[in-house]
Amino acid sequence: MMRRVFTHPFTKFVGRKAVFYLIVAFIALTFIFLIPRLMPGNPVDQMIPPGTTDVGRLKLRAELEKYFGLRNPDGTPRPYIDQYIDFWANLLRGNLGYAMMRGYSFIPVATVVMEKLPYTLALVIPVLLIGFFVGNWVGARAAYVKGKRSEAVYFISVITSQMPFYWFAMVMLFLLAVNVRIFPTGGTFSPRFIPGPNIESFIDALRHYALPFLTLLIITTGGWASGMRSMTLYELDSGYILYGKQLGFRNKKLASYAQRNAILPQFTGLNINLNNLIGMTMIIEMVFAWDGLGLLTLDAVLARDYSMMLGTFLVTIGVVIFGNFLVDIAYAFLDPRIRTGRGG
Amino acid sequence: MFELLVRSRKFIIGAAVLLAIVLFGIIGSMLTRDPLAFDLYRFVEPPSGDFLLGTDDLGRDVLAQLCAGTRNSLMIGAIAGGFATLLAILIGGIGPYKGGLIDETSNAFTNVIMVFPMLPLLILLAAILENRSMFLVAVLIGLTSWPWAARCIRSQVLTLKEREFIDVARMSGMKDRKIVITEIMPNMLAYIIIVFVVSLSIAVLTEAGLSMIGLGPDPSTNVTLGSMLYWVMNSTHAALPWNLWWCFIPPGLILTIFLVAVFVTQTGMDEVFNPRLRKV
Repeated sequence: MMRRVFTHPFTKFVGRKAVFYLIVAFIALTFIFLIPRLMPGNPVDQMIPPGTTDVGRLKLRAELEKYFGLRNPDGTPRPYIDQYIDFWANLLRGNLGYAMMRGYSFIPVATVVMEKLPYTLALVIPVLLIGFFVGNWVGARAAYVKGKRSEAVYFISVITSQMPFYWFAMVMLFLLAVNVRIFPTGGTFSPRFIPGPNIESFIDALRHYALPFLTLLIITTGGWASGMRSMTLYELDSGYILYGKQLGFRNKKLASYAQRNAILPQFTGLNINLNNLIGMTMIIEMVFAWDGLGLLTLDAVLARDYSMMLGTFLVTIGVVIFGNFLVDIAYAFLDPRIRTGRGG
Repeated sequence: MFELLVRSRKFIIGAAVLLAIVLFGIIGSMLTRDPLAFDLYRFVEPPSGDFLLGTDDLGRDVLAQLCAGTRNSLMIGAIAGGFATLLAILIGGIGPYKGGLIDETSNAFTNVIMVFPMLPLLILLAAILENRSMFLVAVLIGLTSWPWAARCIRSQVLTLKEREFIDVARMSGMKDRKIVITEIMPNMLAYIIIVFVVSLSIAVLTEAGLSMIGLGPDPSTNVTLGSMLYWVMNSTHAALPWNLWWCFIPPGLILTIFLVAVFVTQTGMDEVFNPRLRKV
């Protein structure tokens, strides 16, 4: 019995994918160690107060570098290979170190990242799921629109999916926050507002949430819709549908056949869409000053904060890898060749 | 082949719009003022007869910036797209033809890079370089955007490889390199052009995004469509930079028209070259 579980194609598939993503994670983490250390400038310099004398600066810098593990306790620079071993030792112990960047100095990176993560996930997860379902539903319907209106549908879906998302964000701000003042121009809460567990905070957060959410949702929905529309049109044109038509099947039945085949390639697109969405959210957070992980990542990169970059990219890559893994498993469930272990 | 293309309405419309944008960039930047010249006495002017698209918050002519920006963005896109296509042909084309270990490694490598979210990776890489020129940024974008193209080319080579004329060439004792150059590449030319154009459009879009957050080519010496957005985001003058609509609507509009035109052209070419979609 146990043997059958281990040799089942589904288990083998999941195992192979897990090994693949572990390799990806290892390479990605090595990049996150290496790339910041190739950046110009010293990350601890910004922690030294302006106006410090040159002697004081050198002394303070040496102390700070010792604290952050960039120097050995005896004052000599710590070689990269030792730093790399420390990096893995700390990571496996769950220790992400302390932040260096202004505003977060000496705060544990894990605390800061965990505080910001919910704001980013609140954007990414609903946009990914709602965009997928609404976009595919709209696209499948749009394939049946005939005549003059079909061209209009085509152009709307192409424009919403091709338009640069960061520019669309600016246009949304200009229209809905500056000209018609429905929404605030940015931030997560109103200034001088103390959020608490009450209805006012919820409404205030929702008002700030609306614009970044809508911007991301419209762009991703447009992408799914235009893809689904052309996939459905392609399926409606194939032999089995024409054959079914000649056999006298109802249109509804035929549509369900076409859509079931059209949705499969869309599922494989979920991986790439998630990866794009993570990058998109980063810039959208910056435009709307949405206080999430993306904004923190950008600030960490600009401040060259080694430990904060590790923390933010670790979580970003973790979300991406975990999301990809889930999509792969979902796809394996949908594909009967892998699920049943027959054929293929 | 060309006759078929000309009969495709999507291809004609898309290609005409693309040509118009290229000409706007090249000819426009010859006719307009210096896009980087400040005029601190005439800042934040809305469009008028003097400045057709107004001036930005440092008194620079927006129309001049738009023309030069279009030209420079397209140039970055062409370099990055060419670089990505070349890498894709090398990594995605040679692997499946040779087969065996080379194929396994190159395919695994492509898949690993593909999982990385491209924009965060690009942000990290861009931050390494202190003085970013347009060429450097283009190379960086090319370096991070090839996996998608490599996959397309790989699948195409895999199907071509099984065709009879390749067997005939191999049986007649042709060398591998000669088969790739004289038999496989000419049959893939149309496909490679599509891959290049799409890579170019992705690169233009990426460059503008990267420039907008200040990690593109140095915005004080290089004008691109993205740097125009950067100056609006980092406006020193207006309390609400979003009021400067004449500064950020035009570059985004050009980008949108360009990307839609590429998409339409590509769909037109697909419909001509892909027999299952062929309607003309």
